[in-house]
Amino acid sequence: MRIGFFIGCNVAFNRPDLELAVRFALPRLGVTLEDIEGQSCCPTWGTLPSIDLAGWCALAARNLALAEKKGVDLVTVCSTCYGSLTRARNVILSDAAVQQKVDALLREVGKEYKGTSRARHIVYFLLREVGRERIREATQNCLQGLRIAIQPGCLTLWPRRMCQEGEEDPFHPTALKELCAALGATVPYYSRLLDCCGMGGMRSTDLSKSLILVERKLRSIKEEANPHLIVTGCSSCLLQLDMAQEFLLTRQRIHFKIPVLHYAQLLAICLGADIEKVTAMARLKADYVFARIFG
Amino acid sequence: MLLFKEPDPTIFDPTQSDPGLADTVRTLGAADIFACTQCGKCAAACPLVLTGFPFFNKRLIQTILMGFKELLLNDASIWACQSCNRCTEVCPQGIDSFGIILAARRFAVSEYALPAMAVEGLRSLYETGHAVHLAEAGPPRKKIGLPEKPPTTLASSKALGEVQAIMRRTALAKLGIIPMGPTGESLYGITDKKLW
Ligand code: SF4
Ligand code: SF4
Repeated sequence: MRIGFFIGCNVAFNRPDLELAVRFALPRLGVTLEDIEGQSCCPTWGTLPSIDLAGWCALAARNLALAEKKGVDLVTVCSTCYGSLTRARNVILSDAAVQQKVDALLREVGKEYKGTSRARHIVYFLLREVGRERIREATQNCLQGLRIAIQPGCLTLWPRRMCQEGEEDPFHPTALKELCAALGATVPYYSRLLDCCGMGGMRSTDLSKSLILVERKLRSIKEEANPHLIVTGCSSCLLQLDMAQEFLLTRQRIHFKIPVLHYAQLLAICLGADIEKVTAMARLKADYVFARIFG
Repeated sequence: MLLFKEPDPTIFDPTQSDPGLADTVRTLGAADIFACTQCGKCAAACPLVLTGFPFFNKRLIQTILMGFKELLLNDASIWACQSCNRCTEVCPQGIDSFGIILAARRFAVSEYALPAMAVEGLRSLYETGHAVHLAEAGPPRKKIGLPEKPPTTLASSKALGEVQAIMRRTALAKLGIIPMGPTGESLYGITDKKLW
């Protein structure tokens, strides 16, 4: 199956190791990953969506149109990209006035969006299109004995009515858990599983308040799940959980560190990728976790 | 333990309210705002409330419905919204509460009430096609075997020109909060060739 790769700003510039992981993993599971040349920012919430409704939808539709032209959907590892592209498509398809403006804006730059291509989140894409069986076969239970705490990412869960292929019950998410279990890992529950990581607008508006959320979440993870790894489906959660631990450690607000990976990185490692490379930008190194497993 | 100090009680003078505010915000993308019953369920789900921001979804909606424009413009909490969509998920009225936050921001921006970080993001979006862009990301990308520039607007001046052309046709251009060159190049003279 073919799918377009929507890279996203944070991935391209802050976590290219995650971009590399996607490029490594998907083709090994029978997915043809197409580059969508000329893509831009999704655009993210604090920019055009906060200024101009039709303008936001037009920029998102431009990205979707690029994929549509190649006859593919877009896959993303970032829940903000997923949310912005999905919501914009939703507005375009349900609001004729916005659709007209979007069409006009796109026509001016020689583009057209018919509404067929959409954004897909990698977690649900893997679950529905690749399937647990195929992942299990390709990775041979390699993470047996490993405990993982999961962090799904808000926009992959909510709002249910706009995520065409999300969770049956977003308050009891299962997708990421099933994907980690397919690698052989155990995925214990912890009570703050659904809590927001505090990245996003809150972090740039008030760092100390954002830290309240991430500290509470990390403590719950450590005390209740005591995992070897934290695994997330969202590149923003990845950045936040990785960076915040260092910050909280130096301020003695926590006394542990748990390496954080995006599921795509974990999958790439299980498929034989160079751990050094597909986690190159991680502040908390995970090598020691895998050294125990892969010898 | 109190995580934050309760703000001093404010007394509102209804004669000072702007009766057109709710209608204005409604046309900016909050079609369902009048259906709000102020039940507060959105607030119970909101990370802003959990961490002690004084001005969150339910209060914001009430403020708009009552027409207290200054109150809306004087608090930056709406910019701390995580865009998590919990509020939209739980609203018993089926209101897209997060959509109201975005509409309220659009109104605030039209009155030039926006934080510096939003201006930075917009400028970066216009000049590179990316709201988040690190000029120094090229070498680390190369080191792990990726091309220095991702195959995005960064690698194509034509694509960047398209993004800029669209942005010049939005409310952003009328507001004049970022420099937008008329030719598809930024006023700073940065073109995609020099970005790294
Ligand atoms: S949950 Fe819905 S009806 Fe209740 S206060 Fe929030 S927006 Fe209004
Ligand atoms: S989207 Fe914003 S307002 Fe709604 S629950 Fe999340 S942080 Fe609160």
